[in-house]
Amino acid sequence: MTDRNLVYNLYRITIKTLADPFQADTTLPRPKLQGWAGALVCCLAGLALALFGTRAQAQDWIRTGTGLGVEKIKLAVPDFKPSTQDAKNAELLKTFDDTLFNDLDNAGIFDMVSKSFYPLEVPGNPSEVRFDAWSNPPVNASMLAFGDLGVSGGNVTVHGWLFDLKNTQSPQVLGKQYNDTATTDNARIIAHRFADEIIFRLGGGINGIAESKIYFVSDRSGHKEIWVMDYDGANQHQLTHIGSISLSPRISPDGSRLAFSSVTKTNWDIRMFSTELNRMVSFPAYPGTNLSPSWSPDGTKLALSSSRAGDPNIYVCDASGAGLHRLTTGKGPDVSPTWNRKTGAQIAFVSGRTGLPQIYTMEADGTNLQRITDQGYAVSPSWSPNGQFLTFAWFRKYGPGAPGANDIYLMDIASKQWVQLTHDGGRNDFPSWSPDGRHIVFQSSRTGSEQIWTMLADGTKVQQLTFSGRNSQPNWSWK
Amino acid sequence: MAADTEIFFEHSHLGKPLAWSTGLHLGFWGFVLLLGLVLHGNRGAGWGAGGGGDAIGVALVSSVPLPANPTQTQNVLANESKGLTLSRPELQQVEPEAIPIPGKNAKVKPKPVTSASKQKTQPQPEPETNEVPFGGGGPVSGPYGTFNAAGAKGGFGFTGGGGDFGSRYAWYVRVVQQKVSENWLKYEVDPRIQNANRVYVTFDINRAGQPTNVRVEQSSGVPSLDQSALRALQRIDTFGPLPSDYSGGKVSVEFWFDYKRGG
Repeated sequence: MTDRNLVYNLYRITIKTLADPFQADTTLPRPKLQGWAGALVCCLAGLALALFGTRAQAQDWIRTGTGLGVEKIKLAVPDFKPSTQDAKNAELLKTFDDTLFNDLDNAGIFDMVSKSFYPLEVPGNPSEVRFDAWSNPPVNASMLAFGDLGVSGGNVTVHGWLFDLKNTQSPQVLGKQYNDTATTDNARIIAHRFADEIIFRLGGGINGIAESKIYFVSDRSGHKEIWVMDYDGANQHQLTHIGSISLSPRISPDGSRLAFSSVTKTNWDIRMFSTELNRMVSFPAYPGTNLSPSWSPDGTKLALSSSRAGDPNIYVCDASGAGLHRLTTGKGPDVSPTWNRKTGAQIAFVSGRTGLPQIYTMEADGTNLQRITDQGYAVSPSWSPNGQFLTFAWFRKYGPGAPGANDIYLMDIASKQWVQLTHDGGRNDFPSWSPDGRHIVFQSSRTGSEQIWTMLADGTKVQQLTFSGRNSQPNWSWK
Repeated sequence: MAADTEIFFEHSHLGKPLAWSTGLHLGFWGFVLLLGLVLHGNRGAGWGAGGGGDAIGVALVSSVPLPANPTQTQNVLANESKGLTLSRPELQQVEPEAIPIPGKNAKVKPKPVTSASKQKTQPQPEPETNEVPFGGGGPVSGPYGTFNAAGAKGGFGFTGGGGDFGSRYAWYVRVVQQKVSENWLKYEVDPRIQNANRVYVTFDINRAGQPTNVRVEQSSGVPSLDQSALRALQRIDTFGPLPSDYSGGKVSVEFWFDYKRGG
């Protein structure tokens, strides 16, 4: 029996009653337990029995094997059943089923069972679930999401359930009902919400990203303007109509304002767009070239690069543009600041003070400057939502004839260890983290022109989101 | 006689320069070595010790909230394929050799028949060196969850308020296990430690899913290991709210960490 099988069996033996902890211990295989450790466990279990036994007679003691969490959850999502006879059912069901399956597939925490393995009879409500048909081969699922959808009187009603198939006693993990006017857009939104609920429960309390947005630069209208789309590439539309060149969009943490840099008659300025008012709002015009704004995680401050005092340096100001003060000094350009999204206490940025651009970090007050890339050409840092990683674009061997290309890398800040996420495909640049910390959106020219792509933060599941025009500099919303 | 004296004279004449020469050579090389030590002795001892240079052997532990690649591979490049460039070689069925029919006057007895099952199987073809071996591909295994890799592992116990938490909400137990394992950074443990006793950490999960009251129940005797276990819990904001139909106000968890370096 391999280790994984063993572990899997251990997982199935999840419950051992406290009433007999010693017997529970002996039934569990303990390949790696030393004698003394086993004795210790027994002692502790006995102690727990003594402590808690008096308080609650029926308490359970659960012991499981190790390494269970590394397997992805096998999830089956059959098509939802129509619950009414309305003619619009088929159209809405198609949108709903496709969206739900894609959302769960994109989440990165599920091993989706292909629909071709499913039994012919799919359940529409809990009484129709046949556990053995879904949990045995060929489906082999451990979780099942199912439900029904029906249109009546111009309204669509969706019932959705999530069942733990290994637990026939109380299988229901989630039960939801949604009601809205019957449009395909609403069917999409309902599917997003249900997918997010499932991801929230099974993904450890991290909110799903199905309703998040990606802001990006596109030249489809003839000028480089700021555009926005859903996280899966749907619903792309133009936000700004300035008619010059607009770059580096950065959405505020609450999603209400969009900061970006744009060419005016005299220089590059930071501009501000309100997504609530759907128009430009005022932001002071500083002298010099002002680029790459970045929101602090509490939304009260902006970091930006300004050349008002000569060389481009990192400055910080309030969200209104007041109180501008300088953080970095010295020769060479400093650009692309990005805040530590967890704490807001550090800023990473790109500096050319030693020649080729490299990534540096500093405290939010400008102290404790540290260089974190050792060679090559490193730009576009983006700090992960949990504060532990930087992702950036890096030419590790830079120079004429050097091997390699511009790729996305992921670095652990504390240990400075890194892995390479993209390879073999064009120039990859401008990575940006999704709010759940599981995805990265980036720009790549692997198809010949610059387009927006996403991938999981382990470099797999690479997907192209945009196809027309040239699209660049994506920025994922904060929630 | 005269020649002898001449030779003897020349020999004694060379002695002093030779000694000088040896001394100066030794001095020169000693100086060069000393200079090298002084100027470059601590080169590379600076930052970036983890992945600098060309080193590819990354062994990160991380908390990207993704399930880990179950097969621990050495690749740093993400790879969609599971390493199927070389499929598992099939066993070749060897036909038993035909048994010769003995002639009428044959004096040689036929050899005893060897059954097919006793025949040795052919040696399997060696994989090409540039192919990803079977099962060796997949996503980068570097930063993702090496919870039970390299010999280190953990486990945990639950004491719920309602009595049957683990049986009713096995999916929640799984979430807790996964999150703690994702957030345990083994590089925080003192690298000189090879083996350590098990450290027990206990904590409560409140209704909102936040770990509270985190404490070391039984120390391993290695402060850095205890710290890394505590930090794993402190790093977690929430496990997600407790199941809505669960009646209790909190769940108590005992989690243990076993640490062993290098397997």
